[in-house]
Amino acid sequence: MTTSVRECGDAPLLRVENLTVRFGTEDGVVNAVRGISYGLDAREVLGIVGESGSGKSVSSLAVMGLLPKSAQVTGRILFEGRDVLTMQAGEQRSLRGRRIAMVFQDPMTALNPVYTIGDQLAEAVRSHEAVSKRIALGRAAEMLDLVGIPQPRERLRNYPHEFSGGMRQRVMIAMAVINQPDVIVADEPTTALDVTVQAQILEKLLEVKDAVNAAIILITHDLGVIAGTANRVLVMYAGRAVELGETRQVFRSPRMPYTAGLLGSMPSLETSGQRLRPIPGAPPSLINLPPGCPFSPRCPLAEDHCLQAEPELSVTEQQSHTAACHRWPVMADSADPTAFFRTQQVGAP
Amino acid sequence: MAVFVVRRLIVSFFILLVSTFLIFVLVAHSGDPYGDLRGDHSPNLPQKMAHRTAILHLDEPDPQRYVRWLGGAAKCVVPGMTCDLGRTVHDQDVTALLGQAVASTLWLVTAATVLAVLLGITVGIVSALRQYSGFDYTVTFSAFLFFSLPVFWVAVLLKQYLAININNWYDDPRVGPVAALVLALLSGLTWGAIVGGPGTRRWIVRGIAAVATFGLLMYLSAVDWFARPALGPALIVVISCGIAVVVTELVSGLRRRGVLYACLITAGIGSVVQFLVTPWLQDAKWASWTNVLLLAVVAVVVAAAVGYALGGLDRGQAVRASVLTGLGIGSVIVVDEILRAVPAYSNAVGGRIVATIGSQTPDFTGTFWQGVLDQITHLVLPTLAIMLISFATYSRYSRATMLETMNQDYVRTARSKGLTERTVVMRHAFRNALIPLTTLAAYDFGNILGGAVITETVFARRGMGTLFVMGLSQTDPNPVMGFYIVTAVSIVIFNMISDIAYAYLDPRIRLS
Amino acid sequence: MAETETPQAVPAGPVPRQPAASLLEREFTVRAMTQRELVTRRFLRHRGALFGLAVFLCALILAYTSIGALGLPGWWAQKYSTTGGLTNGGGPTLSLWPLRIGTHPFGQDDVGRDYFALTMRGTQRSILIALTVGLVATATGVVVGAVSGFFRGWVEGLLMRITDVFLTVPLLLIAAVVGRFSSGGPLQLAMLLGLLVWTSLARLVRGEFLSLREKEFVEAARAMGAGSGRIIFRHILPNSLGTIIVNATLTIAQAILLETSLSFLGFGVQSPDTSLGKLIADYESAFTTRPWLFWWPGLFIVAIALSVNFVGDGLRDAFDPKQTRVRA
Repeated sequence: MTTSVRECGDAPLLRVENLTVRFGTEDGVVNAVRGISYGLDAREVLGIVGESGSGKSVSSLAVMGLLPKSAQVTGRILFEGRDVLTMQAGEQRSLRGRRIAMVFQDPMTALNPVYTIGDQLAEAVRSHEAVSKRIALGRAAEMLDLVGIPQPRERLRNYPHEFSGGMRQRVMIAMAVINQPDVIVADEPTTALDVTVQAQILEKLLEVKDAVNAAIILITHDLGVIAGTANRVLVMYAGRAVELGETRQVFRSPRMPYTAGLLGSMPSLETSGQRLRPIPGAPPSLINLPPGCPFSPRCPLAEDHCLQAEPELSVTEQQSHTAACHRWPVMADSADPTAFFRTQQVGAP
Repeated sequence: MAVFVVRRLIVSFFILLVSTFLIFVLVAHSGDPYGDLRGDHSPNLPQKMAHRTAILHLDEPDPQRYVRWLGGAAKCVVPGMTCDLGRTVHDQDVTALLGQAVASTLWLVTAATVLAVLLGITVGIVSALRQYSGFDYTVTFSAFLFFSLPVFWVAVLLKQYLAININNWYDDPRVGPVAALVLALLSGLTWGAIVGGPGTRRWIVRGIAAVATFGLLMYLSAVDWFARPALGPALIVVISCGIAVVVTELVSGLRRRGVLYACLITAGIGSVVQFLVTPWLQDAKWASWTNVLLLAVVAVVVAAAVGYALGGLDRGQAVRASVLTGLGIGSVIVVDEILRAVPAYSNAVGGRIVATIGSQTPDFTGTFWQGVLDQITHLVLPTLAIMLISFATYSRYSRATMLETMNQDYVRTARSKGLTERTVVMRHAFRNALIPLTTLAAYDFGNILGGAVITETVFARRGMGTLFVMGLSQTDPNPVMGFYIVTAVSIVIFNMISDIAYAYLDPRIRLS
Repeated sequence: MAETETPQAVPAGPVPRQPAASLLEREFTVRAMTQRELVTRRFLRHRGALFGLAVFLCALILAYTSIGALGLPGWWAQKYSTTGGLTNGGGPTLSLWPLRIGTHPFGQDDVGRDYFALTMRGTQRSILIALTVGLVATATGVVVGAVSGFFRGWVEGLLMRITDVFLTVPLLLIAAVVGRFSSGGPLQLAMLLGLLVWTSLARLVRGEFLSLREKEFVEAARAMGAGSGRIIFRHILPNSLGTIIVNATLTIAQAILLETSLSFLGFGVQSPDTSLGKLIADYESAFTTRPWLFWWPGLFIVAIALSVNFVGDGLRDAFDPKQTRVRA
């Protein structure tokens, strides 16, 4: 099941190879991630898009080594050429927070309510470096300043409940970059925030990333977030990567009907006045996946062939753009691939 | 905070007024105050009845009797006046009776609470961290069993079965090879379950624990240690170093060298100081609780200084760990003294070292440490009986809250920062789990007092519980009220402490 | 503390069944089941609870059919009140191998009464009292809790003050005082105890009502013109059923221990009637000479209380599975 990842000159900073994650549950085995591969270059922004349950969060938690014990992980996660999954626990821990950091979805619950912001930031420094608390707090204040929190020295003494949601997410970003990591995994960093704050936080995240020269894995279900920020985008569906390419390519000419469906259900100026075109149906259960393309039940282009064989991620007309669809040539021939969903909605024969 | 405390005190005062009145009236009407005189056919019966009417003021209406009692009780808090809690049906002074009873009950209740809290929380945390392991299932089942054991039944069982068997064994205190083997297997299973980990490591742990237990028991029997128990200077040194390492691991992790060195130095000082202190402790004139407490204070100060000096980058943690180590070593030295008192004590009580009646051996004369040992042997079984249920409560509850906090997002954040598992569990999960546990402590205190009433009855301790049971069965309000007022005030104080602890632990409450 | 195992790369193979992490429940639960189906299924999976239920029913049936009840005769020949000569020195005639029941399987007391019949009588009384306490306490607690949580006002004020007072009184103390008023009758005792132990349930129900009455579905029902009664009985009460049932069960377990403790102290069931606690109190001094007089009633108390506690735990898991899950 080798998939073609975009080859670059030197080895990528982070490389995920054929990653699978399974959970045993009372109802059966959940195949949360079913073999995804991608690479991440230094200073790059990779967007991972998918709906709830597509495996995007689980795969990123696997990269962080934060999955529950009940998770069974196979494949390889190579950071600077070394496999994170086979590392000693201590070695893995020394990567976490220092080389690979994470920003979580809900800033309201992600900070410990009983410690001050300063304590929590300083702790992140002192768990990796032998420095005094004073120095660690000094760096914490710098970081708060960097993420745009006014009066950083005073605010170090505040508790999380004394901050607003947006401010807390800024603290989380400060915590993520305080050790100058190489990779920041941002798991839906703006989803839990007010719409007005979302853009600010996203902008701050990118600004801070440049300041510390980190790469970002930006996980989201919102294509709008990806459009303005990511260099490349990976679309996930039912635990699999279904499309991977440069953001521009994927948005202009999607080669997988699911991506097209996502794009079609997104409001934009070009299509204003027309109806949005939602994808009919719901994603499949990950416990007993039927054979064939998991998207086929919802796909307007599905043929008998799609119900039997699950397509592999393969190169489309451009080397850097891969898609997992038997029918991508049909999409390539169409001027507006999102239109397929419209025809189906009106009730094609 | 001060405003909060004062407001709570005022509210509590009114609640106490209502509840004392209720209980006074209920007890006064719960039976016939002349009950024991009804079968009396002596010629001076009318005088006896009149006497009782006079001492209990039975001719007055309830509110008046209550106010009379309240007036006397109020004298307890007015400076310069002496307490007057009324008289019993047999014309004894309740204040005097209560004075002796309170100390006995307080020892019992305190010992049970402290042990239940420490053991319950530790076991609860370990079983939460080893969820769905053999240890977890065993703890869960034991907790359910303890919940379902009637205190009086356990108490009788301990008194009539365990105590007698231990005392019989103590005639010739040796552990036979078969018994040692069984205990060794149990110890191996327990340690394997606690340490956990992958299969091979667990088998190694089991093996080491079992062999060590077996060897230790056989050795101790061979040298007749149980008849003349003592730790001795060498063992104290070894235990001290062990304490230093364990405390460091729990407080900061062994990686923090500054903390480790501070604890080890404290352990070293303790090991040397024991030679200096032991003669004092064995001096009949010198040994007393005051002086032991004084030594503890000195130990804390010295340990804190060592921690401060050697802490380096982790000064705060080093001071904390060092103080804990110092106190631990102090306790070991005290335990050693108590153990050394065993042979003499055993002779004095005819070899029946586990006492089943009363709160101390009547007319016991011995050294300070033998006296302490005497109190302990009288406390062990009643404490155990009361403790079981509370232990079950604490272990269940701390397991549940620990599971909940381990599931919180901030614990995942802590992991994502690359903290060690120890820091994640102790600093982030456990610290938050403590918050709801403070409320539980306040609720549980009432249960422990209830348990004390029953165990005191079974073990015939002259405590407040006995006062209550005797008073109630004779429809005698004053001793019952004496029991209740002490109980209620301690519950109010306990609640207050738990509220303050809650606010201290949770900044969201403290700062609002 | 040992390190937590981090997920390691493992070869593909059958994955052992393990309870799902909450993360999964949030993201992957797809199949829809009704609340009742889920609760039943989870309860039936709880082996401890099923075992507890079986033990409790066995004890109940054994106690009520053996010596009979409500004037109906039972299948056990001996009467609990008949005295007589001692067989086998009063010792139990029960032996497991070879299985033999004999005339007095649990032995006889000092005046030759059949101890099996006495224990069954005590079990009947203790179960009756526990169930009545559970019923009375639950009914009172639900009504007071519902009214004070839904209508607030003076009922709530009163409830909170009563619970404040109860907080300062150890339960055993007030129960003992109240127990003296029952004049030894099991039913009166049960009623009085029931009227004592309802406060914690009332507070819980009040809490449920306070939070549920602000929920959207209650708003919706109100917007559609539903009256208070309909909202309480159709919308809020069914949603707090879990709390109520679980706590009713735990109250029963607590009541068994409370009653036996009171009877032991002499403030509960009085002669000529008996209960399990009273049996133990009566024969405590005989422990060293005739220990079976102590063991049998104790065994029954522990078995009943333990089985009810297990049922309660199963119900709690069934109604609220979240609290037993852990993510890592």
